[in-house]
Amino acid sequence: MNFLIVLALVGLMHAARTFDSGGSHATTLAFGFVLLAAFFTGRIFANLRLPKLTGYIATGILVGPAVLGLLSPEMVHDLEIVDGVAIAMIALTAGNELDLRAFRPLLRSIQWITLWAVVGTALLLGVAVFAMQGLLPFLSELSLVPALAVAVVMGVVMSAQSPAVVVALRDEVEADGPMSRTVLGVVVIADLVVILLFAATSSLAQSVVGSPGELSDTLSLLTWEILGSLTSGVLVGSIIAAYLRFVGRNAALFVVAVCFVVAEVGSRIHFDPLLVALAAGVLIRNTTRQGDLLHSQIEMASLPVYVVFFAVAGAHIDLRLLASVALPATAIVVVRGIGLVFGSRIGAHFARSPETVRRWAGFGLLPQAGLALALAALFVKTFPGFGAEARALVLGVVALNELIAPAIYRWALVRSGEAGQREVAETADRPAEQPAA
Amino acid sequence: MEVQAAQGPEVAIRLILVLVALSGLAYLGGLPAVQRLERRLRIAQLVTAGFPFLAIGIVLGLPSVGILTESVLSTLSPLLGFGLGWIGFSAGFRLDVRELDDLPKGTARAVGFATALPFAFVVASVGLFLLVASDWSRLDLSNPAFLRGALVLGTAGAMTAPQAARLLGESGREQRMLLRLEELAGMVGMAFIAAYFRPRGDGIGWHLPDTAWLFLTVGLGGVLGVVAYVVLQRASAPAESVLLLLGTVAFGAGFGSRLYLAPMVVCFVAGVFLSNVPGEHRARLREALGRLERPIYLLFLVAVGAMWKFADWRGWALLPFFVTARLGGKWLAEKLIRRTTELAADADHWMARRAPIGQLSIAIVVSAQLLFPEGEIPILETAVIGGAVVTELFAQVFARNRAKTRPTLALGVEP
Repeated sequence: MNFLIVLALVGLMHAARTFDSGGSHATTLAFGFVLLAAFFTGRIFANLRLPKLTGYIATGILVGPAVLGLLSPEMVHDLEIVDGVAIAMIALTAGNELDLRAFRPLLRSIQWITLWAVVGTALLLGVAVFAMQGLLPFLSELSLVPALAVAVVMGVVMSAQSPAVVVALRDEVEADGPMSRTVLGVVVIADLVVILLFAATSSLAQSVVGSPGELSDTLSLLTWEILGSLTSGVLVGSIIAAYLRFVGRNAALFVVAVCFVVAEVGSRIHFDPLLVALAAGVLIRNTTRQGDLLHSQIEMASLPVYVVFFAVAGAHIDLRLLASVALPATAIVVVRGIGLVFGSRIGAHFARSPETVRRWAGFGLLPQAGLALALAALFVKTFPGFGAEARALVLGVVALNELIAPAIYRWALVRSGEAGQREVAETADRPAEQPAA
Repeated sequence: MEVQAAQGPEVAIRLILVLVALSGLAYLGGLPAVQRLERRLRIAQLVTAGFPFLAIGIVLGLPSVGILTESVLSTLSPLLGFGLGWIGFSAGFRLDVRELDDLPKGTARAVGFATALPFAFVVASVGLFLLVASDWSRLDLSNPAFLRGALVLGTAGAMTAPQAARLLGESGREQRMLLRLEELAGMVGMAFIAAYFRPRGDGIGWHLPDTAWLFLTVGLGGVLGVVAYVVLQRASAPAESVLLLLGTVAFGAGFGSRLYLAPMVVCFVAGVFLSNVPGEHRARLREALGRLERPIYLLFLVAVGAMWKFADWRGWALLPFFVTARLGGKWLAEKLIRRTTELAADADHWMARRAPIGQLSIAIVVSAQLLFPEGEIPILETAVIGGAVVTELFAQVFARNRAKTRPTLALGVEP
């Protein structure tokens, strides 16, 4: 039945597309279509024991400009309005999940895994990119040292993780436990680490390559982005907490409005919406009593946002571009996967983490999405001479990871025994909380 | 790099101040003392109707404030189409045709009077105003914009806000049904305007006779209703109901708009269908609507406020014509209803019951503006929004005596 519904929606959308008109209503149409079609495709995927999220992405690819063309490039561009709100909401959720007291026992694991898996993989990827000079024309034109420097920057860009996918999958399979918590902690911290590493390595590479882009500009932009984002995150978190504490009415609407503001204005003034919302979420969870209320307010709105966000991510995947960089991109995906899985095992070993963390946490670091793309865009600005070609490679790697990694992490959550444990954990928590209440 | 970093802190600080101000206003609005003051000033219903959000939109859209700039408004413009679909869907879902079975004799006549007379009065007076105010050298009688504008305003003026029934207490069931039927009449009017005043040109596909578009509107609404029915049967959790409802309304509104049909009418038909077919979906849908209806309407009002071109004096000049003609029509309709039917048993203060202009009237003008972006529609918006405020104040003032003489039916604010 799900398949028939999707077919009916595709038929209706095709009929609408035969009528020549554009404008803002095309966005409304595309939004409704993507929401419904992706939701039911997600169900089809769930019946096949695959993540719903992969179904959402697959819908985007199928109905997007690359295959059926039911969504025009303009529609996909207009739907990006959801991207910002989604990233802000997902980051707010992720930050709100980071109860530092609860995470304290996992802190050692998070530190070591971040060091070995994230930083180690960035270096490994740098070496791999450098080794593939022959397959990458833009790199083969550079001499040894500049090529190595640029390869390291690309390694950093491609090592980025995706808190959005991790949070979405965790919600989808209702997972809870040391592994999923550690993964969440690592991907959140890694976001910050990767941005800082990018700032350092790109500055170094720029001075080595002698790129026409201004080194001081890049540095000041990144400083502004990190410090400004964190500071505004604290302010935004205080405002949301105050609203939840003193007003409470229409709180979901207020939170969505704040996410919209964070996304729209944040990107205009070069704040990272992800960092802003993340900082706000961490602040609310750890310094106020409004964390649970915020969680319940976001919960209802998050499903539509996730669905559209991932479907739009799929619609962005350019299959022709993917085909053109298939070989190096596949090699990099494999190297990245090996680096993250084994890096996290080594990190977990040093941290004396539980067995589930040691075995499975690395798979949670595989998903990749927004941050890598944002850094790739910054890479183009930093290295205007060859940035576009490098970006195509990053897009290819992200596309492959978007398609494969969610299924792998879902499998890891199920195999680790943490899938479906959230309700169990909440039930177990309840009697303990009652006497205190 | 489009925005220089130097502009950044200024914009960020301004926005954070706006968020703080909104939180402060929301906090103040919730205080019992402030609510008592609102009731004393007789603006409680205006606040409940969401007009402060309209005001927020106006303030945020001012160039000196610079928050909802042209680019942000262009990003937000899909919200208008979606909001229209949402309002139409909600209105349709409230129309339970089974309630029509036991309505007293004369209901059809009463609805006819209550809608046709204000419609005719408004079309005549506003049409004349627009004809006089229009540029005669560019007058095109084959596509008379003044007539289109007058019909839009006539349709908007024919309806009464459902909240007006709050004054009727338990005796108001029939009157509430009358107001629902007025909404139905308004939707029919809007469907006719969208079908017979369609934009024409090379970029417009599907060349069909005008009447065919009328049938297409109803047919599309019906098809969407069926799709929504099938889709909503499959929701297994409240969050999924919300998602499917949002998707259905957005798809319907977007489809209707793409074909230059009125999105609210298309979604209205879908809403009526869903409300009147049996199934478990209705309870879930009602719950989801209850959860989302007001937030989406308030966001819609913010967008309307930000895009409202209120500085055009012609809109304010049109306002008294519109309000007077509408009230004249409603007054005459009330007289005729009382004389020819048994429906107007509660005869006191017809003004309080018939005057208020509701959200559907505002939505009709916004819908017309999206359908016909060129021309005089923005001034109609001023007339309807201004008229909504003025008529609500009239209703409050005229109902004062009733509240004094019958304190049990004091002026309530809809929960």
